[in-house]
Amino acid sequence: MQIVISRMLRGAVVAAAITTVTATVAIRSDAATVGQPVAIDVKNRPDASPEQLKAKYRRPDSIPFPKDNPYTVEKAVLGKKLYFDTRLSSANLLSCASCHNPAYDWGDGQPKGVGHNMKQLGRRSPSIVNAAFGGIFMWDGRAGSLEEQALGPIKTDVEMNLPIDQLLEKLKGIPEYQPLFRAAFPKDGLTPESVAKALATYERTVVSGRAPFDAWIEGDEKAISEDAKRGFTLFNTKAGCANCHSGWNFTDDSFHDIGLSDADIGRGKFLPAVVKMQHAFKTPGLREITRRAPYMHDGSMPNLEAVMDHYANGGEIRPSLSELMKPTGLSAQEKSDLVAFMKSLTSEMEPTTIPVLPR
Amino acid sequence: MRLMTIALVAAFAGGSAVAFAAQHSIMQKGKTFSESAITIKKGDTLVFVNDDNIHHNVLSTTPGNEFNLGSQAPGVSTPVTFDKAGQVDVMCAIHPRMKLQVTVTD
Repeated sequence: MQIVISRMLRGAVVAAAITTVTATVAIRSDAATVGQPVAIDVKNRPDASPEQLKAKYRRPDSIPFPKDNPYTVEKAVLGKKLYFDTRLSSANLLSCASCHNPAYDWGDGQPKGVGHNMKQLGRRSPSIVNAAFGGIFMWDGRAGSLEEQALGPIKTDVEMNLPIDQLLEKLKGIPEYQPLFRAAFPKDGLTPESVAKALATYERTVVSGRAPFDAWIEGDEKAISEDAKRGFTLFNTKAGCANCHSGWNFTDDSFHDIGLSDADIGRGKFLPAVVKMQHAFKTPGLREITRRAPYMHDGSMPNLEAVMDHYANGGEIRPSLSELMKPTGLSAQEKSDLVAFMKSLTSEMEPTTIPVLPR
Repeated sequence: MRLMTIALVAAFAGGSAVAFAAQHSIMQKGKTFSESAITIKKGDTLVFVNDDNIHHNVLSTTPGNEFNLGSQAPGVSTPVTFDKAGQVDVMCAIHPRMKLQVTVTD
């Protein structure tokens, strides 16, 4: 028999699938052919032990940088100056830090961002904390890397409103930037790509500090309260939070419609034929979460208690609603425990120094 | 497709030497595809098995080999047959860290 089966974990599964395939005859010349789905027996995995569970939340030892944009001090120094420089906007009033402000845990503390001419934007400004660990960026995932993301707000007319060719002209006209670009990018100097790479390098250095939760994960039983410990267990079990808010940064970069009642289709703009991507937004990380109110992509929830109530209720029922959104039946005490747990994720972040800008 | 059916029937009937459309299972446990890259022949089938404990939504938007399994529940297995040669980028729409590059050869 010449049928090759790789990673055949369940013979019966594959045999059943083969039977189905032979019955599938509809082939379109312009697409792959989807056959009939069949049910298989999936054995539930045993629950992880508390120690196995805690191991999944251990802080990493280092910040990952991509091979095509490795860390250098020169890039980070240049990137920080660019990040805080309001001349990256047409009106010389907005910098990256205007919406992603270290004083507000790298967001802006408002329900929705504010762009060019003080116009309110469509979504809340996401924090850039731990962006180095992300795999896809923006609430709707339209940028695949920080380098790809970095120039977007600069050139977008409702945000910083500065076309890239004008950005280059402005930066060329600032003498003290020139040696910084030559030091950071000896080969290419000042280009759109080098601006993006410098900004991305600096952003990757913005990492959440050690929180009480980290000390507990590493063995200090007194580092967090008993309420918070119960909250951690709920987070990983009954409340189902860890289905998406997983790992040390508390996100798996997944996209879900969590049933908020606004008209924004989010990820659906880029995957219009995918039902579950309508009203879907990227799962945000939860580090420093108590200092990042208001919450959700639309800034509609003023505090974590409101967020707990939303998840306990299950959200607006519609075809795109994530299967994971179900009324959880959480009691008031359980919601309180979950909030206590989330409070343990906030660190005492060091104040950020504002750089002296090139003139 | 008819040829494939015949070949499979022959194969099941008695160990035919006919080399034909192959099946490869791609598992999804732990929000991870069991392969990150796979090379198959035109007409081969990938069987996407959701052996995870949450829903997935496997799709490709690569021209010529587009498909969308929609929301696939745990415990469901769905075959996809690729009929056009080339590189096909497969992902889970819900979990875009799940990526699979399929090379379909003539």
